[in-house]
Amino acid sequence: MSLENPFQDPLRFERRVPECLMVIFGANGDLTKRKLLPALYRLAYERRLSAGCAVLGISRTPMSDDQFRGKMCESVREFLEDSPFDQDVWAAFAQGLFYMAGDIKDAALYPALAARLQEIEQARHTGGNVLFYLSTQPSQYIPIAQGLGSAKLGKGEGWRRIVVEKPFGHDLSSAQELSDELHNVFRESEVYRIDHYLGKETVQNILAFRFGNGIFEPLWNRRYVNHVQITAAESIGVEGRGAYYQEAGSLRDMIQNHLLQVMATIAMEPSATFRPNSVRDERSKLLRSIRVMKPDEVLEDSVAGQYGPARIGGEDVPGFHQEPGVKPDAQTDTYAAITFFVDNWRWAGVPFYLRSGKRLPKRVTEIAIQFNAAPLAIFNDEGGGTAPNLLILRIQPEEGISLKFLSKRPGAGMKLRPVSMDFNYGSSFGERSPTADEILLLDAIIGDATLYTRQDMVEASWAVVDAIQHVWDQTKFDFPNYAAGTWGPAAADEMLARRGHAWRKP
Amino acid sequence: MAGTISPDQILHEMADLWVSLGKQGEGEAGVLRACSMTFVVAAEESDDPQAIGETLAALMPEHPSRAILIRFQAEDQRELSARVFAQCWKPFSQRQQICCEQIEITASEASLPDLAAVVLPLAVPDLPVILWCRSPRLYHLQTFPQLSAIAQKLVLDSEAFGDPGAALKEMSAALASGRALADLTWIRLTRWRELISQIFENRSQLADLPRVARIRISHCGGVAPAAAWYMAAWLIGGLQQIGSRPQFNLESAGDEASGELQSVDLLPQDGADAIVSIRLVEGHAAEVRVGGLVHRALLPRLTDCALLREEFSIAGRDPIFERTLAAAAKLAVS
Repeated sequence: MSLENPFQDPLRFERRVPECLMVIFGANGDLTKRKLLPALYRLAYERRLSAGCAVLGISRTPMSDDQFRGKMCESVREFLEDSPFDQDVWAAFAQGLFYMAGDIKDAALYPALAARLQEIEQARHTGGNVLFYLSTQPSQYIPIAQGLGSAKLGKGEGWRRIVVEKPFGHDLSSAQELSDELHNVFRESEVYRIDHYLGKETVQNILAFRFGNGIFEPLWNRRYVNHVQITAAESIGVEGRGAYYQEAGSLRDMIQNHLLQVMATIAMEPSATFRPNSVRDERSKLLRSIRVMKPDEVLEDSVAGQYGPARIGGEDVPGFHQEPGVKPDAQTDTYAAITFFVDNWRWAGVPFYLRSGKRLPKRVTEIAIQFNAAPLAIFNDEGGGTAPNLLILRIQPEEGISLKFLSKRPGAGMKLRPVSMDFNYGSSFGERSPTADEILLLDAIIGDATLYTRQDMVEASWAVVDAIQHVWDQTKFDFPNYAAGTWGPAAADEMLARRGHAWRKP
Repeated sequence: MAGTISPDQILHEMADLWVSLGKQGEGEAGVLRACSMTFVVAAEESDDPQAIGETLAALMPEHPSRAILIRFQAEDQRELSARVFAQCWKPFSQRQQICCEQIEITASEASLPDLAAVVLPLAVPDLPVILWCRSPRLYHLQTFPQLSAIAQKLVLDSEAFGDPGAALKEMSAALASGRALADLTWIRLTRWRELISQIFENRSQLADLPRVARIRISHCGGVAPAAAWYMAAWLIGGLQQIGSRPQFNLESAGDEASGELQSVDLLPQDGADAIVSIRLVEGHAAEVRVGGLVHRALLPRLTDCALLREEFSIAGRDPIFERTLAAAAKLAVS
């Protein structure tokens, strides 16, 4: 019988974290420097990692372990947000940082990696548990998976897991090809497809809000919900990523993954348990219930946009075509708005409006659930009693929940005014919330895949998006069709107006 | 008010307070009231009111409450007085204020029997009442149980009691009588305990655990503090679960009177090196030696606010604490 740790105290201790060696491919890249290492250091600072935890960075640049530690120290100091840097904690953490130089496409890298893993495992007692993290260009995912497979690194004494960053393919067939290659080496349960949106506190709080309370779920259906708006707006442009972005676009870059996952979380059926597969089964079922549009429906229920130049706050802002690296005739959607319908009993006929865009007036991500009006308007219009009830779940920048309802104005007469009841996540719970990177990294080490995307979910969302993208690819758009700093093309407003709705201006 | 106070009057003053806060917020985004419990603090007159106020204010954003601070004066007259005010804060970059109510009651020792009837109607309906008794002297007053009976949980600090063994025994008896308790001294050990537990999440270290035959705990001060008894009882309890019967030593590491732990060593039978050794260094960090590795973790002395925050995050009773308190009391008096 295996021995259990008798010192656990689940009421007071954080979750149990097993020993682990994390291998980061692309260790010299931006993601590692800006996000991964600061998140790992922060976890060490909070005593969330096991003592022997180790990190092995791999990239092409020749460097010693000490040089890598020095470089990562600079990155952590620079990119550590809302946290102090402690030299002693860093010194202890840095002892577990290792580096090896190598070309991902070089077959000799992988046997050398196997030898290095063994060496580190013995020194740090990581028990054979290895988490591979692909922090590279997506084009390198398949060569890495093949290399790991050829060196038999997909199996070992402890557990093996692989974390893959989005995009998971650029359409359904490429997503399936990537998945097949990963499955040649790892079981699906060992593949962790990371979606940073799902790690955000408010997205997780949607589950708590819906399934931890008894009062909202009875309203959560076609009888009471008029429509749902999900907005992910960015005020910035492509910021030097023009060459990459012109191949992706907003529909692929945001809606296919982040926003459809958020929509699935909002609309899914209650899960029987809070076990990873149980929650993911429900998300997956919801994604498979989204109606795949026919070509004529795509023209009615989707809007592609691209920003043009504008002057904002006294400053000239370039249009997408003027951004460095972008082809002058690029037909890339920097804005996408889609009307989705979910074909199930709960949501039949309720529009889900999703929009995402760059160079919109502000950076905001939120979900707005608009409820049906009261069945009988007993207060006259002068009384102001017509504003709909809205439940707003803000994901960023300030995570929180607001409920808007009507209330009588104080004083004589029956005049109503909308009021807002707010719950602000950051201020209501004063402690610093862990970042999405911290949450998701820890989940992968612990083996909790609840917030990770499963292959059937990826395929279901590509099936929905491919139908739209296919029509868009064959359409010659008259871009640009919205000025930077505005809320997108007029056609997006018209799309909602056809059903008697209007976009919120968050 | 002087002499007596009326709960109705206090509630009325609180209603007026919200009206005036609402008027101040008019034209802006308004004022939001937040409350998750009634938090009663019983303090001596000599307790620094500013420090208590700062603790309450720091707790509010995460655990908004109706706070009732009772300050006891050592007078014979049965006098009570009260004032009502709000603790408000504006979350960063928000226009809206969030406010909690605070009631400050000044009471004489002689009026203690009258207090429960005042505090009970002031408790927010349907939410828990937690009483933090900052003074062992107050806890030992004969009429204190009348006040503590209104609380679902009583928070004490055994470190403040003069005789650690007697304190543990007394608290253990209260626990046995059905009273839900929390001890700030136990909460101060959470980080130490978590460090130890994390070590044994590693399977190779866990495999070494049955080799532990002796526990050595060193502490400041000449007398073993409650923290040392708690730690010994908790470690022994854990080791007993895997069939071990370890011996233990509590050693004084210096005359400083803080009662803090200085080190914990888990030792094998044969007198070889410690299997695990944790040592407080530079007052705020722990140096952990295990399996040939040395690493450091921050272990700062936590403020009352941080300790209460941890306790408030536990909704019900804490079986591990209760079990350990009973065992620690037995060890300390044996």
